[in-house]
Amino acid sequence: MNICKVPIPVEDSDGDNRWLSIHNRFLSETREKDADVIFIGDSIIQALQHTDVWNEMFVPMHCLNFGIHRDRVENVLWRVQNGELEHVNPKVIVLHVGTNNYNNTPEEIKDGIIEIIHIIRDKHPDVYIVIPSLLPRGQHPNALRDKLQQVNELLKDSLENLPKIELVVIDKGFVQPDGTISHHDMHDYLLLTNAGSKKAFEPVHELLLQLLNEGESEKELTISE
Amino acid sequence: MKMVLSQRQREELNKAIADYLSSNGYTEALDAFKKEADMPGEVERKFGGLLEKKWTSVIRLQKKVMELESKLNDAEKEYMEGAPTRGKRCPTEWIPRPPEKFCLSGHRAPVTRVIFHPVFSLMVSASEDATMKVWDFETGEYERTLKGHTDPIQDIAFDASGKLLVSCSSDMSIKLWDFQQSFECIRTMLGHDHNVSSVSFMPAGDFVVSSSRDKTIKMWEVSTGYCVRTYTGHREWVRMVRASPDGTLLASCSNDQTVRIWVVSSKECRSELRAHEHVVECITWAPDASASAINEAAGADNKKGAHTGPFLASGSRDKTIRIWDVGAGIALFVLAAHDNWVRGVVFHPGGKFLISASDDKTLRVWDLRNKRCMKTMDAHKHFCTSVDFHKSHPYVISGSVDQTVKVWECR
Repeated sequence: MNICKVPIPVEDSDGDNRWLSIHNRFLSETREKDADVIFIGDSIIQALQHTDVWNEMFVPMHCLNFGIHRDRVENVLWRVQNGELEHVNPKVIVLHVGTNNYNNTPEEIKDGIIEIIHIIRDKHPDVYIVIPSLLPRGQHPNALRDKLQQVNELLKDSLENLPKIELVVIDKGFVQPDGTISHHDMHDYLLLTNAGSKKAFEPVHELLLQLLNEGESEKELTISE
Repeated sequence: MKMVLSQRQREELNKAIADYLSSNGYTEALDAFKKEADMPGEVERKFGGLLEKKWTSVIRLQKKVMELESKLNDAEKEYMEGAPTRGKRCPTEWIPRPPEKFCLSGHRAPVTRVIFHPVFSLMVSASEDATMKVWDFETGEYERTLKGHTDPIQDIAFDASGKLLVSCSSDMSIKLWDFQQSFECIRTMLGHDHNVSSVSFMPAGDFVVSSSRDKTIKMWEVSTGYCVRTYTGHREWVRMVRASPDGTLLASCSNDQTVRIWVVSSKECRSELRAHEHVVECITWAPDASASAINEAAGADNKKGAHTGPFLASGSRDKTIRIWDVGAGIALFVLAAHDNWVRGVVFHPGGKFLISASDDKTLRVWDLRNKRCMKTMDAHKHFCTSVDFHKSHPYVISGSVDQTVKVWECR
């Protein structure tokens, strides 16, 4: 059985119940805030909100960040099924999850992500779903990095050209010619630094701008001689 | 207009096209293109994504150019005309001018509303940190904190005497506070089924009206705390409710993109004003003094005689502000220049101007007669959520998601 497709909350192994507290805070944010864009997913998404790119580029678009560090596909699946997408009416949902499913096959991860997409589509038939590609991880080439690369290819094959689903390639430019990833881009070889998040998420920002401004008429610029 | 490219530009464009073709896997077109454009070999890396970049940057640059032009205009104006000296300033003409007189910090979460006290030199700020803070706007001193709500406070208001303060919160409660002696909560009113987004006193001070995400507007008796009326009709979250100066009408605005006018006594919805293309965030009734400026602005389509009002201004997420003739139930004109959601609007007590606060981080002063933005102030580091204008003293206050409250002196 594919565990990625079975929604499950994170087990409270530390005994401080933080994960559920975070989920509950997200639920209260859905009741109070009225966001145009919701980011949901794993460590990458949650780390994004502490970067300059987030503050300068994404905050003005009225975004909520529902990222939780170490979340796996099945945890995000549980969260979207348990209220984090109720009472909201976003125009775009950005989903990045899978990097922590180290013990699943690429097919399982892909199927899990597609399951999340189905749930999102079910709750929000008209929303744009933006899927940034999974980022490489680890200083040196490793099996997990290859696996995530395969997930990206599988996602591309199964999602490309579907209506209102936008794949954005954000994983290019991190692996250097010698196969290593620099700590200037990912300080712990997983989470993005300011510089790294700029590299990765500028294309996402560009796409969001266009999706949010769709239908707005372009202003004429008078060309002065 | 025909665009001419130099030899070098044409080569670059060709390379950018080749890169576009190759990165998208259009290999046949690429081969054919390379052949026709006489461009053997690999495309250099520096052309990666160049075409897409150019495609998107034009729009962004257009916007930037327009922004800069309007800033330049303002700067020139300020330089040519200048501000009147302190002695010559006049209550009908003074407008807020940068830099701010005070930047007050203390709140631990975004500031949601700022209001002036009607009598003393005090102002109150409400915040998502569930507290309200009282400040002296002339000295910039912090006075006290009011605590009692358990979730973000959404709106606050004084009665005409300034002896009572009312607040509402996403904790679904409305609270009355004694602002004379104890500064304590004297009554809590429960009845809304969701986030209470806005609250305000009726002009006589005997009732309070509130609006909620539960789509209703409720009226509460101050002396007993009972809910005496419920106004239903909005199809979505009601964002704000404000009583008309004579106390006979209520105006409300909503996520359903309408502004509605209600008859207080009969609970009937008298008109449904449509024109905004997005959530309507805020509304404010115009003072009588603004009638002549509004009439002149609406002039072109006003052949049947003067609009008699009452008039209302509304700010929306469609980035515009609209002025309405509530008596006639029609939209009069639009004020557009903000780059993001409009979150707060307030009339200048002299009636000639309107001040607005927006998520584009600016406060703007609008010259009503000419329907034009006459001043833009880069007010805060984050969204500006609220603005208020003192009825008699030369001060404007603003609140922001950056957790600060700013005091602006008018000249």
